[in-house]
Amino acid sequence: MSRLPVGISGYGVAVPRLRIKKDEYAKAWGSFQASGVAEKAVMGFDEDILTFATKVSKRALASVALEPGKVTRLALASTSAPYVEKVLSGTIVTGVGIPRGAFVSDHTTSSRAGTEAFMAGIEHVIANPSGYALVAVADAPKASMWSPIEHGLGAGAAGFVLSHDDLIAEFEGHAAYACEHFGERFRPRDEELIRDLNVKKFAQSSFMGATVKAASSLLKNIGTKPEDYAHVVIQQPDARLPRTIAKKLGFTDAHLASSSIAGELGDLGAASAPVGLAAALDAGKLGERILVISYGSGAASDAMSFKIVGDRKAVPGIRSELDRKHYIDYIQYLKLKGAIK
Amino acid sequence: MAHVSVPMYWRTVPQRYGMVGQRCRKCDAVNFPPKGVCKYCNASSEFDEVKLSGKGKVHTFVLIGAGGAPPEFAEQEKAGGMYPVAIVELDEGPKVIGQIADVNPKDVKMGMPVSTELRKIYSEEGVIRYGFKFIPEELSR
Amino acid sequence: MNMKKVAIVGAGQSRYGDFPEKGIKELFFESYQDMTKSVDKGMDPKRIGAAYVGNLGSGGFQLGNMSALVSEFVGLPYIHTVRVENACASGGYALISACMDILSGAHDVVLAGGVEKMTDVSGVKQKYWLGVSGDTEYERLAGTTFAGLYALIAHRHMHEFGTKREHLSEVAVKNHKNGAQNPKAQFQKEITLEKAMKSPYVAYPLNLFDCCSTTDGASSLLVCDAEIAKEFTDTPIYVAGFGSSSDYLAIHDRISTVTLEGTKRAAANAYDMAGLSAKDMQLAEVHDCFTIAELLACEDLGFCEKGKAGQFVEDGHTRIDGDKPVNPSGGLKSKGHPIGSTGTGQAYEMFNQLRGTVDKPTRQVGDAEIGLIHNVGGSGGTVSVSILRR
Repeated sequence: MSRLPVGISGYGVAVPRLRIKKDEYAKAWGSFQASGVAEKAVMGFDEDILTFATKVSKRALASVALEPGKVTRLALASTSAPYVEKVLSGTIVTGVGIPRGAFVSDHTTSSRAGTEAFMAGIEHVIANPSGYALVAVADAPKASMWSPIEHGLGAGAAGFVLSHDDLIAEFEGHAAYACEHFGERFRPRDEELIRDLNVKKFAQSSFMGATVKAASSLLKNIGTKPEDYAHVVIQQPDARLPRTIAKKLGFTDAHLASSSIAGELGDLGAASAPVGLAAALDAGKLGERILVISYGSGAASDAMSFKIVGDRKAVPGIRSELDRKHYIDYIQYLKLKGAIK
Repeated sequence: MAHVSVPMYWRTVPQRYGMVGQRCRKCDAVNFPPKGVCKYCNASSEFDEVKLSGKGKVHTFVLIGAGGAPPEFAEQEKAGGMYPVAIVELDEGPKVIGQIADVNPKDVKMGMPVSTELRKIYSEEGVIRYGFKFIPEELSR
Repeated sequence: MNMKKVAIVGAGQSRYGDFPEKGIKELFFESYQDMTKSVDKGMDPKRIGAAYVGNLGSGGFQLGNMSALVSEFVGLPYIHTVRVENACASGGYALISACMDILSGAHDVVLAGGVEKMTDVSGVKQKYWLGVSGDTEYERLAGTTFAGLYALIAHRHMHEFGTKREHLSEVAVKNHKNGAQNPKAQFQKEITLEKAMKSPYVAYPLNLFDCCSTTDGASSLLVCDAEIAKEFTDTPIYVAGFGSSSDYLAIHDRISTVTLEGTKRAAANAYDMAGLSAKDMQLAEVHDCFTIAELLACEDLGFCEKGKAGQFVEDGHTRIDGDKPVNPSGGLKSKGHPIGSTGTGQAYEMFNQLRGTVDKPTRQVGDAEIGLIHNVGGSGGTVSVSILRR
């Protein structure tokens, strides 16, 4: 390709301060259903995905030292937007100080929305060599307290500045996969809570099929092999499923280490791969490659490859966000989630 | 519910989302929230827009407990427990009232450095009202 | 210079408390009849040319034209009648409006009163109404009602001057002691310092016993040109001076967090008009919607130095047998705070104190000639002060 290199110029990450431990679930329900999740992050009463998207947008811009006024594109992603109809990006544009003329888009219908928004940003900077795209992904999925899928649901956010300038990670390529699938993690119109029919093997086959196909075609397209990667970021509905996928693709647990966040934060939905990517960037060294694989039920997967070309890190990094925490009990959790009517 | 109409709230969005204040052209003091006539010199209504840092120090505070919250904040108090409200002296000079989030109420101190962050303030008529709250400065960066 | 003087020749008050069987009309009528009885030589209602009625809103019932309603209900149709609204200072401003009316020469006999019905509304609506008189855009939307706002002031006062939690509670204990001697008070019960200190925090550092309650009640004053006062009574009480001042509505906009500038300025105007000073005031009914408010009043009215009110109270100056009795009626804290009625209710107490006609001699301040009443709207956005004299 003869185009100018594009990629990540800066990034930021944010995690709510509140946490709940799996023991609280065990006490309340007798068991905990999210494999490998020891505790997870919970948004406070006055937080939602828009407050978090604003926060990570500011942090991502600050990490580059880029004025918000330079942003020409904003792509926002979440599966738990506070409004089903309304331009969500309007809050971010005003909260961050992004020019009103910037092109905005909201990506909201699956846990793959984060990479969908990311690719919208990449396409923008490829098409506009002087453009700056801000990608803000925040999520805090909700399900019925009676549903096993609820146990793992956490909260977190990551933001990225994409451009041609000051790159810290060069974008090397993208491959996608989409097909018809259903019954796994869906929300009919007018329903606030995620449903999952819990047809376990059927759902897993979709997850594995899509992610492995997207990742394999990416490696094939750009001519890389598993041994070329130091970090692999895979959608983390829990802490176990990514390991199965990694193994299928020829990666080891060591590849997953830097981006394994589900154990401490839970399932971050659309923000899972983006927060994982931010964690990998935190740990990455110059010259290392990162592979990112997202998944959204329904179903689709994005695979993206990056090469680290700069050593500027986000402040605060994922570690200090993980360490800033305040534990709540299950009753407080129910109140905050609006589960007590 | 305190009734603050949607247009009334919208008119304060520059302050609530962006900490936009006014610098008086006559006495140079910063007014925040905005005034018709400068509250410092009381002699000029000509201002330049100025974006404040959002940083400041706690001048005084209260911990709102059970029964102390207005109805539109009662649910917050019930769900999240007692919450701190402070008058903060901003670095640029003016004082402004706001809640302090992300803090154990017992840890709030006079003079504590804080900075602003966008939060949900409350909801009315199905519309979420966002605006600044303060958080302890060491958490911002 | 206007040589006219204003006199109060009759004063009445309903009982303060919680009266499911009475609305604003009935409460106002009760105070009006009580006032009528107090006019020694009798009074022909036809002489009343105007009525100024303090009222915040009574839970939204008859927000418009309420003064016409309560005036005609008590038998005063076809007069100049106005609802006066300056939040909790509505009554104090109603009295000042009546004085200004008389000084202008427009009328020579005027009714000044106030009424509030606060216990009719649901819990949620009650809190709504309690918070409508602060700054709505910022103070209310920061999650405060008045307890929170006064707590901000109290906390800063404690921080700057070393005012102690005990000082706040001592105000509550004293006012309940006085209120226990007031048959028209809402809470006629003494409380111990321990009980006052240990009640739960509503808005730390203020606890439940630092806050006044919600109250139904009304009060009425017959105000006239001093020239004709003797037609009504041989012992009129004169309005020697009055003053009022507004302040920035939101506390964060004010010069000082620990001073009610409105009180200082209103008092300065009133002292100036009366040719008197703070030390001449032999007793006072001050606005103690929260205990801290009484401490602020003692300082800002000039009874003691700024920052020293805690000690001033602790030393007993403000007790009935002290040298500067404050709130012998029990104050808003114990007598009750029916918002629109509070200011004229204070005047009712002072009228009787200065005439030596307090209904229970146990709270009668001995042989006082000059007294001050002080009424605050909200957290100090409006303040009225009047000086009454035998």
